[in-house]
Amino acid sequence: MSGKIAIVGAGPSGCYLAQALLKKAPDLQVDLIDQLPVPYGLVRYGVAADHQGTKGVARQFARVFERQGARFFGNVSIGRDVTLEDLRAAYDAVVLAAGLSSDRKLGVPGDDLPGVFGAGRLTRALFEHPEAEDLPDLGAHPVIVGNGNVAIDLLRLLAKAPEELDGSDLGEGPSRWLAQSGIETITITGRSPAVRAKFDAVMVKELAKLSDVRIEVVDAGESDEPAEVKTVEALSAIHGHWTGARLITFRFGLTPKAIEGEGRAQTVRFDTETGEELIPCTSVLTAIGFEAAPGLPRDALISGATDAEAGRLAPGLFAAGWFRRGPRGTIPENRADAQALAAVILDDLSADPARVGGAVFDGLDQVVDYSGWCRIDAAETEAAPEGRCRSKLATRETMLGVAGARETTK
Amino acid sequence: MKITILYGTETGNAEMLAEDIQSEIEADHEVDLSNLEDFAPGDFDPECFYLLVCSTYGDGDLPASAQPFADAMEADKPDLSAIHFAIFGLGDSEYDETFNHGPKKLAELMIAHGAQQVGERVAHDASGSDMAEDLAFPWAEAVIADVSEKLGEAA
Ligand SMILES: Cc1cc2nc3c(=O)[nH]c(=O)nc-3n(C[C@H](O)[C@H](O)[C@H](O)COP(=O)(O)OP(=O)(O)OC[C@H]3O[C@@H](n4cnc5c(N)ncnc54)[C@H](O)[C@@H]3O)c2cc1C
Ligand SMILES: Cc1cc2nc3c(=O)[nH]c(=O)nc-3n(C[C@H](O)[C@H](O)[C@H](O)COP(=O)(O)O)c2cc1C
Repeated sequence: MSGKIAIVGAGPSGCYLAQALLKKAPDLQVDLIDQLPVPYGLVRYGVAADHQGTKGVARQFARVFERQGARFFGNVSIGRDVTLEDLRAAYDAVVLAAGLSSDRKLGVPGDDLPGVFGAGRLTRALFEHPEAEDLPDLGAHPVIVGNGNVAIDLLRLLAKAPEELDGSDLGEGPSRWLAQSGIETITITGRSPAVRAKFDAVMVKELAKLSDVRIEVVDAGESDEPAEVKTVEALSAIHGHWTGARLITFRFGLTPKAIEGEGRAQTVRFDTETGEELIPCTSVLTAIGFEAAPGLPRDALISGATDAEAGRLAPGLFAAGWFRRGPRGTIPENRADAQALAAVILDDLSADPARVGGAVFDGLDQVVDYSGWCRIDAAETEAAPEGRCRSKLATRETMLGVAGARETTK
Repeated sequence: MKITILYGTETGNAEMLAEDIQSEIEADHEVDLSNLEDFAPGDFDPECFYLLVCSTYGDGDLPASAQPFADAMEADKPDLSAIHFAIFGLGDSEYDETFNHGPKKLAELMIAHGAQQVGERVAHDASGSDMAEDLAFPWAEAVIADVSEKLGEAA
């Protein structure tokens, strides 16, 4: 089967989709477009720097370009550099796999006070996303609001001693920031009781390896439900873990009601089962989900979709991954999703040879192709200092400089 | 030799490795490749040597694509005493307590139904510096040599 397919977003869902499409129909032209000069989305900028094993899926994604013939068009933002209309006219099918990168806000009074930071904003800064804001001062007593895996990632990174980051790809600036954070206590709060916390038990178990903390779990609860038992066991197992002075406290059943303070977050006011509780803090880190970034009209597209469940937005227009499903699900779910969507797309596809495909990007400046990414990758790996597996290029300019460099250093 | 490679995967690494092993050995052997989720216990063929490639998920659990096979084995209780297999595992030593428990469980399941394991279970570590194929190709060569000797066949 022939045809031209554009996938907007080269994160895991885009890459798995290209993999699945080309497995089923090797003659397709599949182009992956990303606003960043580098591929792999949250595998690079979300999956924690100290979880390198999870990033191993990038080897599969490299194959999609190296062996399956997909092309990479990096540093191209759809909606800004090329309109969605023009893209749709150029390809037989367009798939939006652009993720969801804006932090969902708490939606309570004070949630925009200085000192309140979203998990996406912080992880982007920690993992040196080129559009990240600066790493802020969190003070000695940050409070994390949220009970998903991202909240645990943040907690773990903030709690780690410098040597526990050996083997990671955490950059020099962020590493220094962590080492000098001055954090004395971290309180992590969830709305639900412990048994219904969303994080995976293994994520909690991992905290038992921290070498410089003291962990207290207030009210891990009890349950007979197999799914819940694991969480309770994991929480009970880390309760009392004591290897250092930095105090980590798990609190449950706390629904944020307001963030208060003079010119800066100083207290979180919670509703509890029995009334109200105030927790003093120096900053509030929210990890309660993500929503669409401006650029693509996601809400309108999803609400007007012909069959959002199957990924069909409109004739020749599809959605995948977090962009379709919302900010839920790990990397494997995107794989399953992509395989199902590939079948839907191939079913619908009718190829028109008159479509121009990748030529739609011809007039653009500084498009990064796959070999450009390989140069960035090689430069980053070569520059890795002692104790790190990579040293990321942190700005778009340096990336573009290296990607455009003529000599192929491999 | 007739060889079937069966893989159990969650994020696709085991599938990629299984395909690599297939490419590596198919010049010398008749090789089939199948996802464990598409393979039933009744499909085992004594004429064939089975190379299992399986990762680990959750808390030392089988990966999603191996789960239906494991359930079917428990339900069907096939007699696999004429079946020879070797197994290669994928895992991550960050999960130290349950490192490579998925393939360990799969091997135990095969053995519990009488199947004969050839060679040692070799484990790849996603946090280590080795490429999976650099460990898996020599492993495949060794277990194929082993089983040829055992069955008195030319490799
Ligand atoms: C902090 C964090 C940690 C996580 N850790 C894990 C983990 O350890 N394990 C796990 O399994 N899952 C983890 N997840 C979940 C996992 O990252 C997601 O399931 C997955 O990344 C979703 O894939 P996606 O391709 O839909 O989106 P993304 O990975 O976000 O990819 C979207 C891509 O689209 C690009 N893009 C966006 N807009 C445009 C545009 N207009 N034009 C062109 N390109 C565009 C972006 O630059 C990006 O590269 C984590 C998530 C977060 C937020
Ligand atoms: C959520 C999660 C849980 C994991 N649990 C384990 C584990 O308990 N033991 C282990 O050895 N590896 C574990 N791993 C590592 C995987 O087995 C490893 O990354 C492997 O390469 C994945 O292969 P696959 O893509 O074929 O599933 C885990 C990985 C993730 C992301």
